[in-house]
Order: sequence, then structure tokens, then C-alpha cells
Amino acid sequence: MRTSRRLALGAIVLALLVGACSTGGGSKPTIKIGSVGFDEARVMAEIYAQALEANGYTVDRAGIGLGPRPVVAPAIESGQIDLQPEYIGSRLTHEGGTSGPDSAANASALQEKLTPKHLTLLNYAPAIDTNAFVVRAETAQEFNLTKVSDLAAVQDELLWGLPTDCPTNALCGAPGGALQSDYGITADTIAAATLLTACDVPMSDALKNGTIDVAELCSTSPEILVYGWVVLEDDMNTQPADNVAPIVRDDYLAKLSDKDAFKKILDDVSAQVDTATLADLYKQVSVDHKDLADVARTWLQAHGFAPTAS
Amino acid sequence: MLDFQWMADHLDDLAVRTLQHIELAAIAVAIGLLISFALAVLAVRRRATYGPILAATDILYTIPSLALFVVFITITGISLLTVEIPLVLYTLVIFVRNIAAGFDSIPREVLEAANGLGYTARQRLWRVEVPLAVPLILAGVRLATVSTIALVTVTSVLGDSFGGLGYFILEGYRRSFPTELYFGAVPSVVLALLADFALAQVQRRLTPWQQTEQRAVPPPFVKSDGWI
Amino acid sequence: MDLIVRTLAWLTDPIHWAGPNGIPARMLEHVGLSAVSLLLAIAIALPIGLYIGHSRRFIWLAVNSATLWRALPSLALIAIVLPITAAIDPQAGFKVYPTVVAMVVLAVPPILVNAQAGVTGVERDMVEAGRGQGMSEWQILQRIELPLAVPVIVAGIRSAAIQIVATATLGAILGFGGLGRYLVEGFATFSLGGDAEVVAGALLVAALVVVVEAAFAAAQYLLTPRGLRRQRSETTVAA
Repeated sequence: MRTSRRLALGAIVLALLVGACSTGGGSKPTIKIGSVGFDEARVMAEIYAQALEANGYTVDRAGIGLGPRPVVAPAIESGQIDLQPEYIGSRLTHEGGTSGPDSAANASALQEKLTPKHLTLLNYAPAIDTNAFVVRAETAQEFNLTKVSDLAAVQDELLWGLPTDCPTNALCGAPGGALQSDYGITADTIAAATLLTACDVPMSDALKNGTIDVAELCSTSPEILVYGWVVLEDDMNTQPADNVAPIVRDDYLAKLSDKDAFKKILDDVSAQVDTATLADLYKQVSVDHKDLADVARTWLQAHGFAPTAS
Repeated sequence: MLDFQWMADHLDDLAVRTLQHIELAAIAVAIGLLISFALAVLAVRRRATYGPILAATDILYTIPSLALFVVFITITGISLLTVEIPLVLYTLVIFVRNIAAGFDSIPREVLEAANGLGYTARQRLWRVEVPLAVPLILAGVRLATVSTIALVTVTSVLGDSFGGLGYFILEGYRRSFPTELYFGAVPSVVLALLADFALAQVQRRLTPWQQTEQRAVPPPFVKSDGWI
Repeated sequence: MDLIVRTLAWLTDPIHWAGPNGIPARMLEHVGLSAVSLLLAIAIALPIGLYIGHSRRFIWLAVNSATLWRALPSLALIAIVLPITAAIDPQAGFKVYPTVVAMVVLAVPPILVNAQAGVTGVERDMVEAGRGQGMSEWQILQRIELPLAVPVIVAGIRSAAIQIVATATLGAILGFGGLGRYLVEGFATFSLGGDAEVVAGALLVAALVVVVEAAFAAAQYLLTPRGLRRQRSETTVAA
């Protein structure tokens, strides 16, 4: 049970010792996997990593938990990582596209943006994690809040908590973006907001403590259910359908002797990840404090993607 | 409050992360020592460079580590090199000062005697000056080691594969999980204190003629693990 | 090169000089946080340092505390303090107090060690002369040891101040603000031009450090008794 995690950790040390030289054999070269920093993305990266390992691939986890999207995106474009799990709607916005509620449309629009960068978007999972504006139940009651557009009138009476990339993210607080142009939240409100890393527990803690009254969380954040918080309806439909999907570099795919077999491994895994699954995986890591590797392995074994005997 | 079962389950990770921590710190101290040695020799030989070199190492210290990571990710990637660059730069502020002070502490007569014996500049450096500067160099190594061990924890912002014990600190912070936080922080402090103690023993062995252990010439400040 | 150009553009954009996220506002927060932390550190470290220096007891404590405190990882400290202070005060207890605690911890050792060393370093003859004249221990500390130790003490406070200003960027981790806000925001928008914001933030911190350094150098000169001025006053005993 614990052996492979030990091996994974051992591999970190080994990689440090010998320098990250990838000497993968012809058909299944070592794949470098990365992800953004928060737990849900890390556990998805680990699931893809172990699914590939179960099929004989060697995985270098050098980029898992790397940081926010603007750090991870150039890392995959420049080849420092070969594969990352991504949220397709947010990535489409990041690439300068317009994302909407239709998952398939987001995916094909994103592929158009990625093709010139020699990146391929694989099949997306049914799981959706959307950016959610959340308030405590008593705040919702006090100010009669049910949808995001209710916030504009009382924005000055509330303390705002936003992700660190919000002021320049079109889905959030960028000039002309969702909050400013669709919901009438002023630039001053955004400038005065408490900025915390997206989807990490400190943002939830701040909402719980009353440090902030409005928080942008991931819709899969386990704390929403635990504390009975109110997710405000995105009545202007600004937040895209953020399905999870792996993005992989074309030059990595080109190195494979059987590209389709590689894609099938990841597509089969993605197909099994629905929103409830994603939220549960996320909760196991962030609330139950289980290890990424254990959570990923248990799930893969339960779905027949990895051998159960160790 | 503390989940001892979790701790017991993660002793193997602790061992691996501790080894990584030691490795990241050792590389930084070793490379920092080499670079500083060259700088200190230059500073002592060419007096005019002394002030500018010290000022430059002071300025490097004030650069937040996050800024260095951001600049170097684009140049050197997500690599050991990117992790080590800030760590190495922050040791210079300690090393250059101490090595230069070590050379400066040698009485003129000793140097003149060496010249009188016909030593070349290189022979004098390696046979006379370096051995006599050892107490201060060692004191500098001690100080640099302790502060670098604390600093290694910040490298966890470059992802799960770095950070040493800082991995637990960052993950524990992100999950609001005190057990994991202490699991990283306490061993990190213990490691620094053990290293300090061990180096004090080395100091005593190598410089038995010193009645009390030589203390480092302190830099005006020592880089704390600023995290950003 | 491009990064330098974009950094200069960021710094000279009038948008970044106005409003609650403008440079003047963030600079003020940074200085305020630093000043509070420094005052607290002085209030804690100076009396202890003077006591140890005067009594010559527990000198080992002063010397070793610097090593121990230097080894404490600040993020861990912040995260440990956070739940406690946030329970007391959801606003400042979350955004400010944890950072202040981390910064005070950083700033105490140089002040304490220098105060102790400054007082211990006063020549015994002068102290004995004071005793001979019937001065009380308090008078000796106040009239002889303290004035003679001032240059060393101020040097310690100067080290602490620079250390604090350079690391007050921590304040942004929990959303307080200060110049660290530019680092956090810039890192989050790294490839969208945020790298220039990070570099600009780092430059602003460096500029502030230079100003503080100069201010303290002047203070140190002015506070040094005239007779001692020709000695090297840049004596920092330990950082």
C-alpha cells in the first residue's frame, strides 16, 4: 500500500541526485507531469500519473503543485512539463478566448488556442469545478443575497476575499471582466479585497472567521457543505463550465510509438471522474488530510485502473 | 490537536524530505562558499573592490526570494538550479564578510615573513593565508548553514518536488493542518540546531588553539525565510 | 531586456500611483507594519538585553537565542499563530497579527544581542568608578553604560529595522497588503505580465531599505556621544 509512495518520494531524491535526465526508452519516454498548486488539481495530476505508471510509463512529478495557472501555463508551453490537468473554461479565458456554459464548445475553442502552441487537449471529464462566489448563511440573510448581482448594492458593506490572480483575470476582477462589467463591482472594491491563493483552505478559513464576508471558492470546496454556506447564483452566466481535462505536449505524443493507447489510458480515467468524485477526492486531501498518492491509488484501484496487489 | 497516527504514518516521508532538505542546503552552502572565496580574495587583493562587493551582497539579500524565482523560472526552468540560485546568493552576505575578515585578521608580519621566504602569491594564499583564516571561515560556515537550513523551506513554492521539510509546512498551511505544519517546522529547527552543534565540534577539532570558539563576523542582517 | 522595460512601464504608470492598491498606499502599509513590529521588538528586546549586559548573567542565553530564532521558519510561525489570533480578532488577527509576530521574532535577536554586548563592552573601570562615587546600579546603567553603549544598540536596531523592512513583504501572504501585495499578485499573473509587477515590487522594497539604512546611519551618528564618534560606529555584534 505504502510502497509506491515511498518509491515516488525516492524518485524525487534520485532525480535530485542524478539531475533530471530523462532516459526513457523509445516507446514510453518519461513523462513530466505538473499542475497548479491547490489540492484538487494536485490529486488529479497524481491520478493521471499513477494511471500512466500502471501502464508502464515512467513519470517525473517535477511540476506537481507548481503554482498558479500563469506559472504552469508557460511551463508546459516551454516543455518543462509534458502534461497537466487543466480546467478548460478558465484556461480558455487565460488564453484570451471567451468561455461559456457549454463544455464541448469550450473544449473545441480551447484546442484552437492550444494548437499553435503545439499542445493537445485530451477528452474532458464530466466533472465540473466552477468558480463560486460564496457567503456565510447569516450574511446571505442579513443582506438578502441569493445571486451575485445582489452584491453590487452592498459591496461597500462587505469584506471581499478574492484569489491572488483576480485583479487581472477576466473571469474575476480584471477591468472589463466579470465582476466589474457584469456585476458592477468597482475597481476600488477589488483593490481593497483580501487576496489569498485560490481554492486553498486559508480562503475558507478567512470566510469562516469573518475576516471576509464574500469569498471566491471552488464550487467543489468541501467547506461549503460543512459550514452550510450559500453559493450565490451566477445570474449573468459569467463563470464557464470548468471541466477537468489533461493537456499534453505534441512533441511528447510524437515520441510515442502508440499514441492512441496513451490517450486511451487518460481518456478512460477522465470518463470516470464526475463532479461528486472530484469533490470527494478534493475533500479526502484537504479535509481528511490523506496523502495525494494514497487517495489517487485507492480511487484508481477501485475503478480497475491499477492493480490492487502491491 | 496533534494527530500522532498521521505522524507515525509519515516517518518515511520525513526521512526523504529531511534528506532533500540537507541536500538543498549543503549544495547552497558549498557553492556559496566557493563563490565567496573568490570574491573575498578579490576584495582583499584589490582593496577598491572591497566596498562594492560587500554592498552588492547586501543588496542581493534584500531581493525577495519569490522575485528571484519568478525571474529565474523563465531562464533556468523548474530545476534544481532555480531552487539553488536564491539560496546561494543569500549565503554570500555571510561568507564574503567572514572570509575577508579572516584574511584581514592575519598580521602583516606573517605575510611579510612569507614573502621573505620567497613564496609566490599563490603559495602564500594556500599555505599561509587560508590556514590562518580558517577559524573565521568556519564560523561563517556555521552561520550560513543555520540560516540556509531555515531558508530551504521557501523552495516549496516551486512545487511538490522541492522544499525539503518546507513541503510539509506549505501543505500544512494550505490544508490548515497543524500536525503537518509542526511535522515540517520542528524537524527543520532541530536540523539547524544539530548542524550548528556539529559544526561547532568541527570548529573545535580544526582550531584547537582557539580558547573559545571563534564567532562569525556577523553580516548586518541574515536572510530570513521570507516566503515571498 | 523586455522585462526591464515592462518593469519601468509598470512603475511609471499613473494607475499604480493612486488608490488603495497604489504605491503610496502600499508603501504606507509596509512602513506602518514595519514600524509597529520594530517598536514591539525594541520594547521586548531592549530591557532584556540591558539587564543581561549589566548583570552579566545569562549571556549564553543572549548569544544562543540568535541561532535558535534564526532557525524558525516564518511561514510555520505565521500558521501557528493564525488560529489563535484569528479567534480573538477576525480582522487584524487574521491579516496582521500573525505577520507582526513573525517579524518581531526576526527583529528581537539583533537588538537583544547588541544591547547586551554594548553594555558588557563598557570598560569595567568606568563602572567601578561610578560605584566608587556611590551610584546605584540603576544610575550606573542609566548614566554610564547606556550612553556609552548607544552606538552599538542603535546598530542593532538598524539591523533589525532593515531586516523587518525587507521581510514585511510577508504581510501579503494573509492578504494584509504592503509592498508584498505586488509580489503575490505578480506571481499569480506571472506570464500575463505579472513578472514585471514582481520585479517592481522587489525594487520598491529595495528602495525602502536604502532609505531606512540612510536614516539609521544618520541617527546612529547623531546619537553617538561626541567623544566616541571617531571610533568605528558600525559595530554590529550579531545579526
